Order: sequence, then C-alpha cells, then structure tokens
Amino acid sequence: MTESQLERGRYLFAFARGLDQARLEGVLGLRGAPLEVVEHRDLQAVVCSVDLEEFGEAQLKEHLEDMEWLEDVARTHHDVVHAVSEAGAVAPMRLVTICSDDVSVRGRIESLYPQLSEALSRVEGRREWSVKVYATRPAPPETVDAGRPVSGAAYLQRKREQAAQRRSTGDEHLREADEIHQTLARSVVATRVLQPQDPRLTGRADTMILNGAYLVPMEETDGFRAVVSRLAELNPTLEIELNGPWPPYSFATLE
Amino acid sequence: MTEAAGTPATSRPYSSAVERSSYGPAPANLADILERVLDKGIIIAGDIKVNLLDIELLTIKIRLLIVSVDKAAEMGIDWWRNDPMLSSSEQGLADENRQLRRRLEELEAGSGGDTADD
Repeated sequence: MTESQLERGRYLFAFARGLDQARLEGVLGLRGAPLEVVEHRDLQAVVCSVDLEEFGEAQLKEHLEDMEWLEDVARTHHDVVHAVSEAGAVAPMRLVTICSDDVSVRGRIESLYPQLSEALSRVEGRREWSVKVYATRPAPPETVDAGRPVSGAAYLQRKREQAAQRRSTGDEHLREADEIHQTLARSVVATRVLQPQDPRLTGRADTMILNGAYLVPMEETDGFRAVVSRLAELNPTLEIELNGPWPPYSFATLE
Repeated sequence: MTEAAGTPATSRPYSSAVERSSYGPAPANLADILERVLDKGIIIAGDIKVNLLDIELLTIKIRLLIVSVDKAAEMGIDWWRNDPMLSSSEQGLADENRQLRRRLEELEAGSGGDTADD
C-alpha cells in the first residue's frame, strides 16, 4: 500500500461545518472519484483522492496552462463546492489545494481552526451574488474623420478632444458604478469589488463598469433582488446583470 | 434560473436586470468561476506546491486562452500585450505619443496625407 499511497493525494474542495453528508450523495469528485469527508473537531473537509501522475507538482504546472484541463477541473471543483454549500456552511478552497493524506488534512484544520471557524461563521446562512453592470449607451462617436486635418495643431487638438470625451465618459461610468455599488452595499452583509472583466472575455461589446460580489443572508434574497430590479429601472442606460446564488467564494477568506 | 422571464418584462429586446443562476440549466460562465476559484476562497499551502506567482500569471494567460478557444481565428496571439487592462496604461499613451510625433513630423515636413496610417 505504501507505494500506491505515494501516488495518491487528497484534493481539498472545501471546509465545512454542520455538513449533512447525505446531501452529497451522488456528487462525484475529480475524475469520477467519490467524495470523502475528513472530520476534525466540529469541522469537515470535503476531499477526493487524486492521482499524482496527474496532480503532482510538475504535472500541475503543465496542466494549469491547458485551458481544457483547467476548465474541466474548475467546473468540477465548483460543482462540488456548490453541492457542499447546499449541505452546510462552506468555505471553498482555492483550486488545486492538495494534501498528501488525511493526517495532513486534519493538521491543516487544527492549525487554522480559529480562522476557519470565523470564516465559516461569517458566511453561514449567506450566499454570494454577483452583480455586473454594463454601460450600454453608445460610445461617444469617434470624431467624424473629415479628411486629414489641415495642420499638425488641428490634428493634436482633435486628438485632445477625443481623449477628453473618453475621460468624461469614463468618469461618468465610475460615478454610476460607485452609486450602484453603494446602494447595493447598504442592503447586504459584506461586499467585494472584483476586477471588471475585459470585453474580450465577456464576449460583449458593452463596457463592464462594475463587477461586484455581495454577501446576502438567504432569507433576504428577495429583498436584494428587488433592490437590483429597482436599480435597473432607475438606470435605463445601463444593463445590470444579477447572477447567483454562488457559494461564498469571495467572503470565505482567511483574515 | 430563468426568472428574468417572470420579472416585469420590458418591451426592449433584453431586460435591464438579467438574472442568471450560477447553477442551473445554464452552466455558470467560465470566467466567473475562474475568477473565484483562482483568486478567492481559502488559500493555504497544500503538500503539493503550486507556485502562487504562477497562478497569478496564469490568470493573465486565462484571458488569452479563453478568448483563443472561442475566437482563435479572429485574434493575434499577443493581443494582450497591448491590452490596457493587463499591461500598464502607459503603454497605450506611449504608443499614441509616438504616433502623434510621427504624424506631426510628417505634416511639418509637408509629406503628410495619403501615406500616413491612422
């Protein structure tokens, strides 16, 4: 057994508290491996065995560059974390956190116990909602190119005007995004502002002006939705996209 | 969740508040998943070492790769080098300055016009 143990690792999906293990039935880990629960004190670690031929240090370095591999592992990771979030309080792990065995997993829980407990308390009974705001108003028209400018000075002037217009549109977006964020922040427990996603990543031409994560008590979900709807009505030139509920990835962090 | 259909619909082609579930009929957006599972959550060192710096570089590469999966044909392989979101914004300014200076020189030399690119 020693040999095979060396070739296997324990992939950590999440720490949990009050986990109802029956609700994880039928949920598979990576590569079809069954989920297992490692218990220590009043916390649980949801893990599965992985082959270090695939998840070893050198292999990971290569695989993480492989988009298909990454997508596959990220989606499985997310699916398991989501299932755990339905079965108890959850603190999701960052992708590809792998321990050598259960003793090592318990050691992590022991040494981080106060922080893990605190993180779990912060998110228990709460869900993360993503709110993205896009500016859908047409971009300021590029100054009509009425032929070549007559002089270098005119050319520079035109460039300056274009830059100023871009700046003022950008300022307005910042203000709108901030107002929306502040309004949402008033009705939630905690917020995180994520980096707006690049248009080439979102696949849409509209500029993302806010990519916010909001921690909402489950019983206040309807109220939060109503606030988002009202903001959408108040801001007809923006598109507000509500997405969730997510497990509390952005809030179950170690302080 | 397809609640967008049940909310007071607008007559516009799409509703202002679009609601999607992260877990439901439609799979969650990969970019949304990656920005969370790579940058958020509980970050501790496992026994298998994954270099944090690698991961951070990775997130930049992801932007490239996600796009290249969908739109490889449409884009040059190094578009992100000039992406102001990824590189410092000075790069764009420097480029524009260089172009402006070149244009100015051309114009002052009286050779501006049909050969200039813009």
